[in-house]
Amino acid sequence: MTIGNLLAVLILLIPSSVGIFYRWRIKEASIVAAAIDLALSTIMYYFRPQTGFFFVQNITIIFIMMVLSVHLLSTVYSTRYLRGIENMGIREPTYYLLLNLFTVSMIFSLEVNNYGFMWVGIEATTISSALLLITEKTEASLEATWRYIVLVSAGVAFAFISIILIYYSLGTLSVSVAIASHPHSRIIVLAVSLALIGFGTKVGVFPVHTWLPDAHSEAPSPVSAMFSGVLLPTALYVLYEVYEIEPVQQLYVWFAVISIVAASIFIGYQTRYKRMFAYSTMENMNLALLGLAAGGPLGVTGAILLLISHSFGKAGAFYSSGNVLRFTGKKNIAEINGLGTSMSYTSASLLLSSLAVTGTPPFGTFFGEFLILAEVLSLRMYAQFIIVIIFLATAFISVNYNITGMLFNGKGPHNERDRLMSAISVISSVLPLIIGIFYLVVYIEVL
Amino acid sequence: MNYADSLIYLISSLIAVSAFYIQGQEFIVSMIRGQSVQSVLIAVVAFIIAWEERSYDFIILGALIIILRAFLVNYFLQKRIPKQKSYIYEGKVNLSYLFLVDLIFIVISVFILYSVAFSGIVLHSFLENSGNSGVLVFPLTLFFQGLFLIASRRTTFTQIIGYVEEENSLVLFAMFLLPIPIIIEASVFLDVLALVVISSIVVLEKFTHEPVEELRG
Repeated sequence: MTIGNLLAVLILLIPSSVGIFYRWRIKEASIVAAAIDLALSTIMYYFRPQTGFFFVQNITIIFIMMVLSVHLLSTVYSTRYLRGIENMGIREPTYYLLLNLFTVSMIFSLEVNNYGFMWVGIEATTISSALLLITEKTEASLEATWRYIVLVSAGVAFAFISIILIYYSLGTLSVSVAIASHPHSRIIVLAVSLALIGFGTKVGVFPVHTWLPDAHSEAPSPVSAMFSGVLLPTALYVLYEVYEIEPVQQLYVWFAVISIVAASIFIGYQTRYKRMFAYSTMENMNLALLGLAAGGPLGVTGAILLLISHSFGKAGAFYSSGNVLRFTGKKNIAEINGLGTSMSYTSASLLLSSLAVTGTPPFGTFFGEFLILAEVLSLRMYAQFIIVIIFLATAFISVNYNITGMLFNGKGPHNERDRLMSAISVISSVLPLIIGIFYLVVYIEVL
Repeated sequence: MNYADSLIYLISSLIAVSAFYIQGQEFIVSMIRGQSVQSVLIAVVAFIIAWEERSYDFIILGALIIILRAFLVNYFLQKRIPKQKSYIYEGKVNLSYLFLVDLIFIVISVFILYSVAFSGIVLHSFLENSGNSGVLVFPLTLFFQGLFLIASRRTTFTQIIGYVEEENSLVLFAMFLLPIPIIIEASVFLDVLALVVISSIVVLEKFTHEPVEELRG
């Protein structure tokens, strides 16, 4: 076994083994496991397994590190967030166990060199995360959980037809072999198109996105952060691996554009902040899909830059939302005001994260969007470019108008009761800014 | 068409009939049992193909279908049915109307999908000898039946059965077209079983599904 393969196995095994501590200190074990995993993933950057059971490319390692970083942040954040829940639908050790298994299933989907197992991994993310949604047990969270299970599973079943057709056409499910083979057939085009509906359900492609706002808004905030920040990008990665076999560019580009339009319209009339951020995730994921579908160095780099920055920015937005919900008990945008004076750290993180997820310069998301749109223009897709620009602006105004209203309208008494929760939301929200500045410095250096 | 081909077509039609039977039921126990019968029929198809192609993989596949789909899924779902009689009956369902809509939906969707995408496909199994890919109509029918069941009913149980039916169709589809490696198929089976187990936990908390104000928009 090579070092790369060993590391890939260890990254899967360490969070899985947290179950041993189920009855004793699972919280602490989860944090340690998440930290070790993140350290191992940085080592794996130098020892990438690229043959056999695992296939870790440069782009894969970025996704793995992204998943593990947000997992670590969410695990630490959960230690405080769960304290305030009155009616828990699952026990606290079960929560941590499922959170770890959820991460393992995402990493498995990313590492594995087989489309069949990728499908299994994506389905396993649904299984492991479904019960996390009822951590805060309410009528709405139960309904959201059920919609998540049924809609995602029914949708992802389409992707399995796509897997069968890939195997039928190529005689292999190996990702590395399939991508290198460049087949051109009607069946492969059908397979890649069906994958857009199938895996697209998990990515949040319109019109198969309907589970997304429900699950994100009703899940506990650290889980919402993982959904938005890393689950959807993982599904997007799998979709991209299928897309690479036979790029059906126009279909993917138009679906991405229509989804951006739909998400921006939905953002406009949301009355709950977590639901608004959920639709913002749909918008960002489809923008990344647009970049990957457009291809080229600009499109792919832009998509990756957008996904990394968005993962931390959106995690920050959901951690901040968690702070607001925990300390005010309110879910509606209209009911909240004066956060700027009552919760200074949370309001800073909320403002930074909302600016980050709407692509404000100099956040990393801005440069990601810029590169994607540059690639779209270079492909002479003028109609798509204009539509996307208009609706990105709409989403930007909608999100930031609501958030600034929550922060700066009125005044309130000091209400920030947990420093760790605030610190994590600030750290997560600042990271997209650091990524953006780092990119800018590197870019200027290269020029 | 030889006797094995004819037998496959006959059993496949029975599988499609079982899907219509499930669609026509109001009692949840009948639906669960209908799903078990459907899974056994799919396993029989696997055994016939195993016999014709002298393939051990199909025997393992058939055995897995019987153990995991026909037996365990049935067991987990039946275990969750509440004792009160009123709960095991899905009310407020206009079956004759639903059945009619279902028939129209299935005929149109299967006809369109088959003629556009699958009519010219060459089967890799022994069924290739029968000269056409018409047998793919059966898994496609089952797939859309599963989707329709999920979309048309309100109880958690019925929607789980719809999902299992959808997965059954994929097994049948792969068996006719080109069976994917057994290790992956087995992982898929376990995934579906785990999902059924997770879903059956939700069943206890939420039996029916109506629009919730907080989830609008």
